[in-house]
Amino acid sequence: MVERQPGDLHDALAKTIVGQENVLEALLLALLCNGHVLLEGPPGLAKTLACRSLAAALEGDFKRIQFTPDLLPSDIVGTRIFDQRESSFATVLGPIFANVVLADEINRAPAKVQSALLEAMQERQVTIGPESHALPDPFVVMATMNPLDSEGTYALPIAQMDRFLMKINVGYPTREEELQILDRFAMADTQPVRRVATLDDVRSWRAAAHAVHVDEKLKRYIVDLVAITRAAQGVSVKSAGGATLKAADLIDYGASPRATLALAFLARGRALLVGRDFALPDDVRAVAAPALRHRIGFNYRLATENVSADVVIDAMIAAIPAP
Amino acid sequence: MARKLTAPLIIVAAVWLAATGAARAQTLQRLTVESFVLSADTLQPQVDTPFHVIVTLHVRESVSEITNLQLPMLAQLDLLGDERQTVSGPRGTQYREVVTVVAHTDGRIVIAPATLQAIDAHDGKAKQWFTNDLPLSVHSSATRIVNGVAVGLFAHVARVLAALLWLALLVGAVVLTVFLLRRRAPVASPPVVAVSYQQAPIPEAPLVSEAERRRQQIRDALLVLRAERTRSAAVRVRAAIWRVIGAPEGETLGDVLRRPGCGEGTLRDLLVALERSAFTYDEDLPGAIDDACAALERYAGSLT
Repeated sequence: MVERQPGDLHDALAKTIVGQENVLEALLLALLCNGHVLLEGPPGLAKTLACRSLAAALEGDFKRIQFTPDLLPSDIVGTRIFDQRESSFATVLGPIFANVVLADEINRAPAKVQSALLEAMQERQVTIGPESHALPDPFVVMATMNPLDSEGTYALPIAQMDRFLMKINVGYPTREEELQILDRFAMADTQPVRRVATLDDVRSWRAAAHAVHVDEKLKRYIVDLVAITRAAQGVSVKSAGGATLKAADLIDYGASPRATLALAFLARGRALLVGRDFALPDDVRAVAAPALRHRIGFNYRLATENVSADVVIDAMIAAIPAP
Repeated sequence: MARKLTAPLIIVAAVWLAATGAARAQTLQRLTVESFVLSADTLQPQVDTPFHVIVTLHVRESVSEITNLQLPMLAQLDLLGDERQTVSGPRGTQYREVVTVVAHTDGRIVIAPATLQAIDAHDGKAKQWFTNDLPLSVHSSATRIVNGVAVGLFAHVARVLAALLWLALLVGAVVLTVFLLRRRAPVASPPVVAVSYQQAPIPEAPLVSEAERRRQQIRDALLVLRAERTRSAAVRVRAAIWRVIGAPEGETLGDVLRRPGCGEGTLRDLLVALERSAFTYDEDLPGAIDDACAALERYAGSLT
């Protein structure tokens, strides 16, 4: 029997999703690294479809939660109801109890609902009444966010953002990709590929990713990358108007040590994805922006100077020479 | 007693200027080379005592930087530092590069000439200039003391002989002058001949092909990696090969593979193999070094 590889899952997703290579890689990395992904992009860019496709390709439970302003924490984690026949309270588990949870438009729910996800994402358990319930393994939250529609939305708290292993900015497809989208979904009825891998496969991949070697030079590189987000005095960026700005003047706070861990996890996961059992500087650099961009607190000058956050992050990454 | 040479340490100080590789692919500088010399602050360095190898170049043109100057491969020496200085003014440009090195074994070392590629401003042709080579005699402390006595005696004798020779020349010149004055009576004052000093042209060695030079560097790297099968040697050879192909430090393998000509064939295999030997886990290192050596051989063989 041929052992299934993470690449098989990638190939299955690519049969449904056109382009969006960074999204597919992020979803797989989240699985391999036991993390969660935040996808941000305008509507219609296959964010939800990508998550659904991943769930379909896995032999696991998939639940979708549409976040709305009137959503309650109990709608996510579950609640206790009184059973008249038994004359006792019974626990009804919420949709969070699934292997792949799609939190669609997560910023449309108020903070208390978003916070209900915190325990689930970090501790991988939820507490309903007096009891704590372990979530299934693997458990991956894939949240989507629309950056254009700000009315009626609630910004995600810093603590919540930090829980996501990576944040992916989903962009528009190229012209050729859009033609393929037409062929797949307008001229045909393409359905997600089902059951390509089992949950046991995912667990064994995770163990393999955990065993990927990270050299000392690479560890220092990771620490340097995170450190420069906290002290970026020597990094300059160009504003849209052509002015030269110091990156440090645009940043209120840098990335947390959780970012350091995330970089190491993601570098290992990426190495495994390409079939290596040791990580390279390329792996770290490839995952640096997605791991850092939601963990750095930019201040108002970023907007007033018309500078993209990714431009600042790229400049900081470029300022640290790879080993 | 001479210490056993642990392993020849490779230091390909091949292309130190930042974008040499790219520059070579672009245009050469148009220069009038007036002097190009390789020297050291001592020709008898001591084992484990740092000394300096100095490259000095003077060109007539005023330029802000010198590109396509290539230091020789400093095999058997350990590189400790490198300092470059370019001073340009109305009289031209003086380039001086001081490389701090240390030898770990005694014996004779010959440092190959440094090279410079440029367009000769005299005739507009692309040429390659070479410095002198630099023979060094590395001493351990014990041999230096013995040799020091011998050298002192020899220097004393040489000084006496030189003084005698100068005296003989002086007497000969006086006798010759008297003889000529007696033989020819001056009729008119001789014409004044303006003698302009012209520096002897720097010998131009035939152009060594890029492939040949690169092949030699790859072979040296192979020697080092075979002799010292450690992670640090693999990392040094990786850095050296990157410099040979003109890739600056701080790039990732992905960046280097995107450079023209690096992403395919035996060079790509070599770069990937060296990356593996630099970053793989310890148990895999011997195999990774074997692969890197094989890749070095294949790449050297592919250079025509």
